[in-house]
Amino acid sequence: MNLDAPLPTVRRSRWTGLGAFIGTELRVQLHEVLSIATSIIVQAVFLVFVGVLARQYLSYTLVGAVVFSTFQIGQRVQNESAWIRIDHKLHELYHASPMTPEAYFLGMSIGILLAYCLPILVLFTASAYLVPLSVPACLLLVAILGAEFVFTASVGYMISTWFKNMRSIWPYSTLFFNFFGVLPPVFYPLFLFPKALQPLALLLPTSGGAALAENAAGILPLPIGWIVLASVSLVVAASLAFVGAVYWARRISRER
Amino acid sequence: MAGAAAPAFELPRRGHVFPAFALIGWRWISRNPAATIAPILLPFIFLYFLKLISPPGLFPLEIIGAMLFTTQNIGNWVLGDSAYWRLESSLQDLFIVSPLGKVGYLFGIAVSNMIAALPAYVVLSLLLASVVHVPWVAWIELVGSIGLLWILFSAIGIAISSRLRSQREIWPVGNLLFTSLGMLSPLYLPIWLLPHVWQSIAYFLPGTYAAVIVQSSVGLLPAGVSVGFGSALDAGLLAVAAVLGTALAVSLYRWGER
Repeated sequence: MNLDAPLPTVRRSRWTGLGAFIGTELRVQLHEVLSIATSIIVQAVFLVFVGVLARQYLSYTLVGAVVFSTFQIGQRVQNESAWIRIDHKLHELYHASPMTPEAYFLGMSIGILLAYCLPILVLFTASAYLVPLSVPACLLLVAILGAEFVFTASVGYMISTWFKNMRSIWPYSTLFFNFFGVLPPVFYPLFLFPKALQPLALLLPTSGGAALAENAAGILPLPIGWIVLASVSLVVAASLAFVGAVYWARRISRER
Repeated sequence: MAGAAAPAFELPRRGHVFPAFALIGWRWISRNPAATIAPILLPFIFLYFLKLISPPGLFPLEIIGAMLFTTQNIGNWVLGDSAYWRLESSLQDLFIVSPLGKVGYLFGIAVSNMIAALPAYVVLSLLLASVVHVPWVAWIELVGSIGLLWILFSAIGIAISSRLRSQREIWPVGNLLFTSLGMLSPLYLPIWLLPHVWQSIAYFLPGTYAAVIVQSSVGLLPAGVSVGFGSALDAGLLAVAAVLGTALAVSLYRWGER
């Protein structure tokens, strides 16, 4: 037996293992029924506030709740990725397998999205019915949610790799997801935000996405320049975040 | 053997439990700047949102709501700390073999988490005083209500934490319980604007009494609106609910088993 012979190399494409890991992560997440159910609590609170105190803004809050629910997926990705790496130390096993680092990141994210899609679907249906949303507006909202998901999952995954213990992740994750998801005009209309800061809000994927969806639904008139600004910034933010996450996934999978 | 019955050495039976736990609370927030802000963020975010969408006259009521919601949230943090120390750090075993009893441990963690909430109380008190005149009696009632809710919800948090089997359960269970309770007892919302069914349910929750006592005392009720059952009875019901609830939670709390 020739021990000096090179080990056989495993041929793999860039996305080897993606399907298997989506299935794995979906099964893992579906055990967290309570977590899936509670993922809608903050949105429900805002809907109650608006329903009791300012019913005229209910359409904006509904659309914002759909956008926020998708944005929250990033927090789940962050927690799950940190959990696998820090607590279970399973990521080393995954990275030693034929599965590629980018398939690991994307498989985890899509698996989580599938598990948590029911609350999003419920809110989406409620928005489509109550706002109401036309078919083109629905399609645009789906596209916006897609970009939102890519952005938030990528950022969530990258953030998760910067921490060494689970306890220290939580405060930073709370700050990040609340500052981007709740403070800007996501649950409330853009015109209630300070006028000087409104273009800045459109640069954020969350409030920009919500404004685009509300504009398509016909409840938030926007100048064409602002529509372009929000669309371009959403696409650029999602693309940059995705490329960054793929690069980062490959980089941190190497032994150091 | 002479003196065989005497212990080899005497363990100290009394210690400075609360200062020690207060130090733990202080160290957590002083070492981790985000940890100072994150726990108190949610009440402020709700307040910010309500300031934008609701009539300005309701803002003082909403500030009081944020203070009481922060207090309820302490229960959530107690749940998180207690579960983390038990499941991840296995620290609870150390406390169990120490002279500290389970009630001392409960109050210790509650004190530790109160430290993290203090900045929020200071900011909200200043905000409240800047938007409405608060009589000194109302301050006393506010502090008393916060104290009762603090003990009650800390006890609930620690009781539930002792039943959790995985760290993954901490966040959803805490979030579900404490946010739901904070919404069902209308801390941020004027109870007189709610549907009658909701009002009826709310009066079964101690947080509701804390809210109506302080709102009445500050003078935030509109003319012709009465809430609760009179201030003395409301205070009595809040105290009874807090004592009974704490006793029940302590009895359900598993200490030293398994």
